[in-house]
Amino acid sequence: MSPMEKTVKKIADKLAFLKDTSELMIDLAYSSLLLNSRELAEEVHMLEEQVDELHTEFEFLVLSSGFKPEESKEFLGLIRLGVVTEKIADAAAEIAGVVLRGLEPHPVLRLVIEGAEETVTQARVSEKSFLVGKTLRDAKIPEETGMWVLTLRRGKKWLRLRPETVIEAGDILIASGYAEGVKDLKRLASDSPLKRTRLAL
Amino acid sequence: MSKLEKIKYKPVSVREVLTEMKNLSELMIDLAYSAALFNSLALAEEVLELEKRVDTLTYLLNMDAMLAVRRAEDAEDLVGISMVAAAADKISDAAADIAALVLRGIGVHPIVREAFEGMEEGLTRVEVRPASILVGKKLGELELAARIGVDIIAIRRGERFIINPSQDEVMVENDALIARGASIGVKKLERLADGTLEEF
Repeated sequence: MSPMEKTVKKIADKLAFLKDTSELMIDLAYSSLLLNSRELAEEVHMLEEQVDELHTEFEFLVLSSGFKPEESKEFLGLIRLGVVTEKIADAAAEIAGVVLRGLEPHPVLRLVIEGAEETVTQARVSEKSFLVGKTLRDAKIPEETGMWVLTLRRGKKWLRLRPETVIEAGDILIASGYAEGVKDLKRLASDSPLKRTRLAL
Repeated sequence: MSKLEKIKYKPVSVREVLTEMKNLSELMIDLAYSAALFNSLALAEEVLELEKRVDTLTYLLNMDAMLAVRRAEDAEDLVGISMVAAAADKISDAAADIAALVLRGIGVHPIVREAFEGMEEGLTRVEVRPASILVGKKLGELELAARIGVDIIAIRRGERFIINPSQDEVMVENDALIARGASIGVKKLERLADGTLEEF
């Protein structure tokens, strides 16, 4: 890889991370409303500060990459996409702000979040659950349930997740996904094994 | 300049309007990134249309909230709803910004596609080949979201797009599916669509 290719790769990876974080923030922000959780809302605000910083780093990286005049269109595209991620992160922070300002979320908000196509939910991991002792990577929760685990609460702490995070009994999983997956996630976290109907297609 | 829809008060259900705004704003982000990644002007146009819809909904919701307020406590009760609606509107604006980028021919660097593909959760565009088991199936009977963690966010059929297709939509040969999901599920969908995977 040429130095320029390396720089562009670095820029794109940063952008992918910004995109990922901004979307995670929306889910976390709605979760904070649903659960009326100050801690989750604070997490969103912390992420927002991180996104601001990362976004600035990203812009510096793009502007100092030494692109050629004929490449300026593509690089403008990168800058603009960066701005979009920042805007989405801001919007998430505004949602979380409702909780941080001590406003009790209106019951309609809960109905909206639970009734939306993409929803957030929580599930407590029981002692007999198949998930206990598994890493997130091995638990294959998205493949089994269609739900993404956003964060988990262990005792009083919210954990930042990695593929190698080991799930323990008593953990509260916060997950987002299509409403169809909520039941599957709850079942997986409880002690009854997941029964899946495999349709012959 | 495109014409803005004239707004007239009509009674609406705050719950329904806000649910639609939440659904649309999140769908729009995926559609907009898809338009950028797959360089689809037609899809970008669809995103701009949806953005107008979200704008209209924001007006309707705010008017309804205004009418519901009599006392200071009501205002405290409802202000959270309008803040969330404003945030959903902002998210849909951000999606429209991506769409505008595509329509102006600014596009994105090819390396972005590569970086986005490497993510755990991703977007894909796949064509349904004649040999695929998807042909003739209703989306609802496939249960893709529950079984492989993938959601079809749009179908391109000939010249037109079916945005957020219903569970009753039947897939036909040569449909182009735009989908979002976990990378393993996305790969499965690609193989289901090209006919190399016959069950899952």
